[in-house]
Amino acid sequence: MHGTLPRPLTALVFALALGTVLAAAQPMPASARAYHVAQQPRRVALAQGQLMNLRPSLGLSDREAFVPVHAFTNAEGEAVVRLDHTFDGHRVVGSQAIAKVPLGGAIQTFTHHLQGNLKVAGEPNLSAEKATAIALRHLAPKGAMKDAPRVERVVFPAQFLGGVATTVDPETGSTVVDRKLTVLPKLAEPFVWAYEVKTRLQNDQDGLKQLTYYIDGRSGKILRVNDAIEHQAVTPATGTGKGYYNGPVSIPTSLMLDGTYAMYDPTRGTLPNPNLQWFTPDGSGWSATGLQAWYEQNDADGNNTWMSYLFQGNATNTWGDGLPFTAYGAEGGPNGQTSGADAMYAMTATWDFYKNVLGLDGMDGKGTTVYAQVGMTGSWYRNNAAWDSWAMGLFLGTGTPGSFGSFTEFDVVAHEMTHGVTSTTAKFVNAAGYEEAGLNEATSDFFAQMAKAYASAEPGTTVPETGTDWRIGFNVGNGTPIRWMDKPSKDLRSADGWYDGLNYMDGHFSAGVLNRALYFLAHGASSTPGADDYSPYLPQGMKGIGNDKAARIWFKTVTERLYSGGVGQVTFLDAREQAIKVALELYGESAGGYGMDSETSHAVENAFAAVNVGRAYGEGPRTQVRFADWRDHDWITRNHFADTGYEHKQFLPIGETVRPRITVLNNPNTTVTWTLGGPSLYNGGSANKGGVINADGSWTTPFNLGWYAITATSQADPRQFAEGRCFLVNLDTDGDNEQDAVDLGCIAFSWYLTNGLNPAHSMFNAPWVDDSDVATFVDAMKATWWVK
Amino acid sequence: MRKLGFLISGLLLSLTLACGGGSHTTPAPIPAATATGLAYTDPTGSGWRLVKDVHSTPTRLLLNLVGPAGLNSRGAGFNLKAPAAIRFGAFTESGFPIKDLGAYELWNTNPWPGDGSVAAGFDPLEPRLIAGGVKAGNVLTVGIFQKDRRASAKDSGQPLCQIALEYDSAANLKAGDAIPLAITKAKHMAEDIGAFAFSPTMEMASKAQLVDMTIAVGSLRAN
Repeated sequence: MHGTLPRPLTALVFALALGTVLAAAQPMPASARAYHVAQQPRRVALAQGQLMNLRPSLGLSDREAFVPVHAFTNAEGEAVVRLDHTFDGHRVVGSQAIAKVPLGGAIQTFTHHLQGNLKVAGEPNLSAEKATAIALRHLAPKGAMKDAPRVERVVFPAQFLGGVATTVDPETGSTVVDRKLTVLPKLAEPFVWAYEVKTRLQNDQDGLKQLTYYIDGRSGKILRVNDAIEHQAVTPATGTGKGYYNGPVSIPTSLMLDGTYAMYDPTRGTLPNPNLQWFTPDGSGWSATGLQAWYEQNDADGNNTWMSYLFQGNATNTWGDGLPFTAYGAEGGPNGQTSGADAMYAMTATWDFYKNVLGLDGMDGKGTTVYAQVGMTGSWYRNNAAWDSWAMGLFLGTGTPGSFGSFTEFDVVAHEMTHGVTSTTAKFVNAAGYEEAGLNEATSDFFAQMAKAYASAEPGTTVPETGTDWRIGFNVGNGTPIRWMDKPSKDLRSADGWYDGLNYMDGHFSAGVLNRALYFLAHGASSTPGADDYSPYLPQGMKGIGNDKAARIWFKTVTERLYSGGVGQVTFLDAREQAIKVALELYGESAGGYGMDSETSHAVENAFAAVNVGRAYGEGPRTQVRFADWRDHDWITRNHFADTGYEHKQFLPIGETVRPRITVLNNPNTTVTWTLGGPSLYNGGSANKGGVINADGSWTTPFNLGWYAITATSQADPRQFAEGRCFLVNLDTDGDNEQDAVDLGCIAFSWYLTNGLNPAHSMFNAPWVDDSDVATFVDAMKATWWVK
Repeated sequence: MRKLGFLISGLLLSLTLACGGGSHTTPAPIPAATATGLAYTDPTGSGWRLVKDVHSTPTRLLLNLVGPAGLNSRGAGFNLKAPAAIRFGAFTESGFPIKDLGAYELWNTNPWPGDGSVAAGFDPLEPRLIAGGVKAGNVLTVGIFQKDRRASAKDSGQPLCQIALEYDSAANLKAGDAIPLAITKAKHMAEDIGAFAFSPTMEMASKAQLVDMTIAVGSLRAN
């Protein structure tokens, strides 16, 4: 019979699915399996042929190829073939394709681990013998080698580089960590020629070691060292920590192979820490994989010795004395352990918050191990905390008795760990001059609060409404928070709302804008003037949507919607727009019950409007004051935007009465009141303040060159203002004490000479004169004595 | 004859009395018309001078800076003071109250060779040494200079640059009223600024001075 009755499609699908399940559940008959195994060599060849044909579509050149290196026949009878990617016949490290070849049917290829755009220049100028010698010098075997080293020329993807720098100890001749140059830079080229040198030691003096070295084929530098030995696992344990900030807490530890305990949690983290992986395992069972707490060793006077150690060798698994840190020189002892216990507790809770609530495996989403190093001193570290994205580590200062406590308070730790999230997703620029610096810091502050809320209740999958205090570092500051989030300006420095020029502020202070917006979003805003949670930008107030929703909206916004990539392009307004879209995506347009009109997305609009980022739901256009920018992709923009940021700034002459250009939008009354300086001058900005504001509103500029801040406030709506930047230049090139267009002539005398004839020929009094001076002169002339 | 002579004398007396304000009235003389534009007469001489351009209109007077024929120069600048009756106009081409008339070579003579991101050749955005403005006291200040030493100096005896003067009717002048113009500063860049070298020389340093000059201005009247 050649025909069948029509069957409902759903039934057919069900039947096929059931058939698959049944087939998978049934062991394959031995004869059938033998057939498939016998076919494996042919299928390997088919896989290789298929991938070779795919090269053009994969963007690979004729110099690249695929070489089968491993194959097996799986339970379904498919040949699973792994093929190394080669370039001119040499293996590309970390680049492999996988193919599954069934009996008949299409070959499936998996190429997501393939390194694309491969270019490698020239030839290695290092011999294989020399590379082997370099590896052996680093290995420094005390006993005999088990086998002779194996060396192979390879292509190494430099993107996997970066880590601890090493140097050769002149006394011992052995390779040690270079404490002066802690971190190796990445190479400029994406791929380099290298030698893979495999070594094997197995003797009483060296123990069991199988280290694989990658040696740069040109410089001879060690690019990477891998340990091939699978070490015996330590036993996860739970220690008792006596934290200063957290009190008695349980912290994850490990029972090491020597019978003592360490602040090392092998259950959190599946990839090695990129900084710690350069340390050779010592036989204790330690590895670079697993959350862990280290301390920096200082001398008794609190000076850094640049030596660091894991908290380890503890026989009782009880850590810390619960007291403020004072024990310089004994950081590994009970008092030092207190900081470690606080840090370990906060790290663990923050790791779990991201994993259990937001589904993020580690800070980078890949499970890469994070570690903390407490007891940091030195001029920068002592009263600070930092996230090192290269090291995937937190570096936490000891503080200074009488001013700051140890920087191991929960929200400080969680703040720094969150930088690990942003630095692998949105990649905000974290420098004054960019609005996104504020987004960066506020994101860390906000999720520090969310992690703290998570830790305040039984572990779950949501953020509770408890546990937040909307303050950062309250105890580190001995009762004065480092930052307030409900009303950031309580520190007399941070911004409560957006204004044009906010970007000039250091990100820790411009963060106030987003901190307050997220506080309003979660917690709500008051309609009572004078209350800390009242905003003049949203006088009617708003109802919050709660911690959990706010956290999910902002997490998705940062990790899925915003991207700077290091160019400083993300603004608060961008963040608002994306957050609204995420709110709609997560909760739908009518799924609310919150806010003024029961829409979650409208609550986002209102929360941002309450910090002057965009307008509230249903509100008309707001008055806006903008420092005028006539620099629409002109020569200065093109040539100097990146290095000096002249975009959105004005050149004006020194010692003249001028009127900086200002734009007032959405209000017929465009008059402004000028004031000297601006908020950024006290919060990370580097400009000057000077001159005189005259009765007619004009500005008589000072006689000194340089950047000056000046602020314009709308007379119609004093909530709206802009802080601008003017660069004051000296146009008097001919020295006749008058700045006029005749001065253009002297610029030509020095233009593009290797050294100018006279610094006065430069608008910046610089020793050379180029088109920047010409452009600047013209700009300042136009700004000051403009004729329409 | 004597009787006729008396009669003529009496008639003359009557006319004289009438002109002297007697009881007889006659039409008053026509007053000067209210000015609506400008009239300019070029200065004499062959030195530096401001010369009326043929494209001037009754309401927009275009003056060209012309130098002595045979004198090579690399640019010039001057300040011109005018009463409030004069508004200095801008030119669309430059965005300034000065127009380049093409005599001077304002661009880099050695254009960018290109680097992959910016194409080779002259850069249309390249900054040039031409600018102007109006300072306090209604002083027009303008300048136009060659910035590249490698460019040769040009004969000054041709229209070098142009400015525009417009009459401000708010001044309420009468036609024929004189409008004084005064050059308060004028300098040019001489041909000899030292032999070219990228590294500064003593000669270049010693000759890095603009040369003072006098610009003759013609007669300007409201019209």
